Amino acid sequence: MRNLKWIGVALGVLASASAARADGPKELWHYYAAGSEKAGIEALIAFANKQNPDNQIVGKVIPGNAVEMRRQLQTAFMGNTPPAAYQSSMAFELKTFVDSGKLHDLSETWAKIKGDEIFPEGVQRVVKVGGKPYGIPYDLSLINNIFYSKAIFEKAGLQPPKDYEGLVAVCDKLRAAGVEPLGNAGGPFWSLYNFYAPLVSTVGTEGYYKIASGELGFDTPEFRKALELYRDTMVKCYAKNWSGKTWTQTADDVVNGNTGMFMMGAWAAAYFKQAGFAPVEKFDVFPAPGTEGKAIFQMDAFAVPEGPADTLETAEKFVISAASAEGQSTFAVPKGSLAPNVTVDPSIYDAVGAKFAKQLADASKANAVLPNLFFLLPTKVGTELGVQLEKFAIDPSDTNESELISTLESLRQEAQAEGAYLKW
Amino acid sequence: MNTAAARRTALPFSILVVAAVIFAAPLVVALLTSLKSPSEITRVIALPNELYFQNYAIAYDRMGRSFLNSIAITVPSVILSLLVGAISGYPLAYMRGAGGRAVYFFLLTGMIVPFQIVQIPLFFLIRSIGLYDSIPGMWLVHTAYSVPFCTFFMRNFFASVPRSMYEAALIDGCTPAGYFWRLLLPASGSGLAALAIIQSRAIWNDLLFAITLTTSDKATPVTATIAGFASSLQVEYGPLMAATLISLLPVMVTYLLFQKAFVRGLLGGAGK
Amino acid sequence: MPSFQFMRRKFQTAGMTHAIFLSLPVTLFAVFYVYPIISTFNLSLHSWDGFSPTPKYVGLQNYIVLAHQSRFYHAVLNNISWLVFLLLGPTSLGLLLAALLDRGMKGQSVFRVVFFLPFTIPAVAVAAIWRWMYEPTSGLLTTILQSIGLGSLAQNWLGDPSIVNFALMGSMLWWTTGFAFLVFFAGLRNIPVEYIEAARIEGATPWQVFWKVSFPLLWPSTIVVLGMAAVDAMRLFDIVWAMTNGGPAYASEVLATQMYDTAFGRFEMGRASAISVYLLVIAGLIIMPYIHQLAKRVQEAEAE
Repeated sequence: MRNLKWIGVALGVLASASAARADGPKELWHYYAAGSEKAGIEALIAFANKQNPDNQIVGKVIPGNAVEMRRQLQTAFMGNTPPAAYQSSMAFELKTFVDSGKLHDLSETWAKIKGDEIFPEGVQRVVKVGGKPYGIPYDLSLINNIFYSKAIFEKAGLQPPKDYEGLVAVCDKLRAAGVEPLGNAGGPFWSLYNFYAPLVSTVGTEGYYKIASGELGFDTPEFRKALELYRDTMVKCYAKNWSGKTWTQTADDVVNGNTGMFMMGAWAAAYFKQAGFAPVEKFDVFPAPGTEGKAIFQMDAFAVPEGPADTLETAEKFVISAASAEGQSTFAVPKGSLAPNVTVDPSIYDAVGAKFAKQLADASKANAVLPNLFFLLPTKVGTELGVQLEKFAIDPSDTNESELISTLESLRQEAQAEGAYLKW
Repeated sequence: MNTAAARRTALPFSILVVAAVIFAAPLVVALLTSLKSPSEITRVIALPNELYFQNYAIAYDRMGRSFLNSIAITVPSVILSLLVGAISGYPLAYMRGAGGRAVYFFLLTGMIVPFQIVQIPLFFLIRSIGLYDSIPGMWLVHTAYSVPFCTFFMRNFFASVPRSMYEAALIDGCTPAGYFWRLLLPASGSGLAALAIIQSRAIWNDLLFAITLTTSDKATPVTATIAGFASSLQVEYGPLMAATLISLLPVMVTYLLFQKAFVRGLLGGAGK
Repeated sequence: MPSFQFMRRKFQTAGMTHAIFLSLPVTLFAVFYVYPIISTFNLSLHSWDGFSPTPKYVGLQNYIVLAHQSRFYHAVLNNISWLVFLLLGPTSLGLLLAALLDRGMKGQSVFRVVFFLPFTIPAVAVAAIWRWMYEPTSGLLTTILQSIGLGSLAQNWLGDPSIVNFALMGSMLWWTTGFAFLVFFAGLRNIPVEYIEAARIEGATPWQVFWKVSFPLLWPSTIVVLGMAAVDAMRLFDIVWAMTNGGPAYASEVLATQMYDTAFGRFEMGRASAISVYLLVIAGLIIMPYIHQLAKRVQEAEAE
C-alpha cells in the first residue's frame, strides 16, 4: 500500500506544479494543416505579427475540418477558453455562434478597414448576421469552374464546351479516345458543388437564393428539373469509380492523363502546380455551363469570440492586418486562393488565378456572385443535401431521386417551422 | 526423414510467406511514399526516382516536442494503468461470491463505453482539477480509462494462478496485501508484459483525448501532429508517412523488449 | 495445522484488503465513467445546439425520432456486422498464422514482427495508407488483381455503397490481426510440449493435435481476443471516420460516427447523446451477456 500512497503524492505534486499556468498566448485556431494552405496561414501570421509587435498571435492547427473545429470550439466555449480568433466558414457557420452570443461584433473593425468598400457585396452579406459583421473574409475560392488537361483536349481536337450539349459531346469524344471524361470525388461536398451549375442554369440566381431562404421547395418542378439536368449531363460524364476517390486522387488522374476534366474548387490549381502540372501550359479552366459571368464561391473568414479586452485587442489588430491588401495577398499567393479584398492588385496571381480574379470582378459588377449554398442553408439541411446528392450522383435512379426530394422537403418544412431559415 | 520434414513444412511456410508479403505490402508503399518528392506522389505505386529524405526532415521538424510529450505521457500512463489493473484484478480474482462478481461486472461495463460520449464532461472535470493541457492530466485520464480493460486482463491472469499458492502464503503468515506485493506481482511479469504491449500501443495512438485535453506544445502528443499532416482539403502524404514510420519505432521497441516475456506465457504463466 | 479461527481472521483481513484495493479503481470508474454517462443521459432529454446557454427539455423525443429513422437502423446493423466480422475475421486469421508459425519455422522472428507491425500504426495513418490501397483504378489492390488476371474482381472499393463495408473490414483485418496473432502465438507457446508429443506418439495428425490438444488449451487467449473484438466492434470509430466519414451517403456509418456527425456536423447535441445512450444499451444487451459468459467459463475452467 505504501507504493500507492507514494504514487498519489507524486501525482499530486506534479499536478499542482502544472496547474500554476500563466495566461497562455493569444491563439488563432485554423485547420490549414498541410500543403499550400499551411504555407498561406503561416505567412499571414508572420506578416501580422510583424505589423503588431505588441500583439502577437500564435497559430494552432485543429487537425481535421470544420466539424472538428466546431467540436474544439464547443469545449473551449464551455470552458471559457476560446481562442482569440479562428477560421470560420461563412453564413450559417457564423450564425450559430452569433445566436448563442459567443462572437464579438466586428462593426468597429469593419468601419476601420472600410469593409463595405473593399469587399464585394456578395461577400459582405455572408459575413453579416442581422446587419452586423462577425467575420473578416480572407480566403475565397471559386467552385463553379471545370479544369481540363490541355494535352488531352489538344490530342482529341476539342475546345472547352459552352453549354450542356457541348459538355456531353466533349465527354463522348473523350470516352471514345479512351480517357475518362469528367472527374469527381467521394464525400458530401464535391457532387453538391458540381450540382450548383445545373441548379443555377435551371432556377437562376434568384431561385438559388430562394432555395437558400427556404422559399423554393425541394419538391418543386424547378428543383426536379435541375436534378434531371445534372443527371443527364454531369453524372453521365463522371469517370468510372469516381466515388471511391479522394479529390486529390482524381487530381492525380488528371495529372497522369487518365481523366480529361475535373470540376473542383480553385484550390485544385494549387495542387496541380505543386505536382509540376503548370497552369495554362498543362491545364486550364472554363466556367461550368450555365455559370458563365457568374461566380459561385466558398469562403473562409476570421471570427473573433468574445473575450477579455487584451485578447480582443490582439484579435482585432490581427484581423485588420489580415484584411489589408498586403495581408490578403500574403495569404492568397501561397495558398492559391483569391483575396476577397478588391483593392488587391490582380498582378499577384498566376495565369489561372488571374482568370479567377477577373471572373469574380466581372460577376461582382453583374451582381452574380453566389455564395456556396451549403452554408446558406440551415446546417442540418445543407449537410443532408450534400449527402443526398452524393447518393444520387452514385446511382441516379428514380428511387434515389424521390427519396432525395422527400427527405429534403420534409427537412425544409421542419426547419421552416423552427424558424431556422434566414434570408442572406 | 529430413526431406519428409521439409515437405511437411513447405506448405505452411509458403502460406506464411504469402501472408507476410500481404501484410508488408501497405507498409512498403508507405515507406516508398515517405521517400518521394511532392511531384512524384501522384504515382502512388511507382518507385521513387531518387530518395527524397526531405520528408523525414519535415516530419522530424514538426514532430519536435510532441514526440517527447508522447513518451512522457505514455510511459507513466502504462505503468500506472498496469498497477491499477493489478490492484483491481487481484481482489476480483480471489473474491468469491456475488459481491466480487458484481464489482467485476460493474467495472467491465466500462469496456463498451465509446470515449466520444464522455468527452465534454471529461473536459470540465479535467479543467476543474487544474490538469487541462498538462502531462499529468493525460496520465490520469489514460489510467482511468484503462481501468475496465486492465481489470479484465489482470483478473483473468491472476485467476489462472493456482489458488493453492495464495492459501499457502496466508498460512505461512503473509498478509493478503503482502502476498500481492511480494509474491504475486513479481511472479506476474509475463502478464504485465503482455498488458504493457497492449497498453503502450493504445495510449501511444490515442488521438481523441489528446486533442480534447491538450492544446499547447507543452503536452500535445505525436498523434495530434500526425493527424495534422492531413487537413480538410490537402494531405501531405510524404511527411505523413515519414512521421508515421518514425512514430512506429517506440511501440516496436516496446514490443521487441517485452515480447520474450510475452511469449513465455501470456496467460497463466505465473503459476507454471 | 492452523486453527479454523486463524484462517477466518486471515480471510477477514483479506476482505478488508480487497475493499481497499478496489476503492481506487472503483473511484476512478465512478468519476470518469459513471458521471459522464449520467450527464450524457441528461443531455439526451434535451434539445441543444451545443452553444446556446439553455438546453430545452424535450423528454424522450430524441429517442422517438431516432427510432423512426432508417439511417439509425442502418448504423445499428453495421455495428452488428462489424461485431460478427471482428469476432470471426482477425481472430481466425490470427489463430491460423499463429498455428502455422508455431511449427518451428525458419525466420520466425521476422514473421512475428511483420504480422504485428500494422497493429502499431495510428488510425489516421492506416486510413491514409488504405485510401491508396483501395484507389479503384490505379491503387495497389486493383493493380495486383489486374496483373494476376483477376481484373474483373476489382471494385470501386470505397465508393460503392454495397462494397464499402467489406473494404473497411479488409483494412481492419490488416490493422488488427497482429493482436490476435500475438496472443494466440503466446498461448500456443505456453502449451507444454509433452502434451503435443504424447498425442503425436498416439498417432494423431498435426491437424488432430491442433484441434484436440492445442485449441482447447488456448481458451484463456481466446477470451482476451474475443473480448477485445467485441468491445472494438461497439466502439468502432477512428478507422471509419478517417477513411470514409461514414460515406458514401451513410453506407458505412456506425453508431459512433453517426453520433459524431449528429453532434458536430449538425449541432444536435441532444440527439447525439440519445444515440450514445442507445449505443450503450445495445452494446450492453449484446456484449454483457457474452462477457458474463466468458467470465463464468473462466471460473469453471479454474475449478477443474
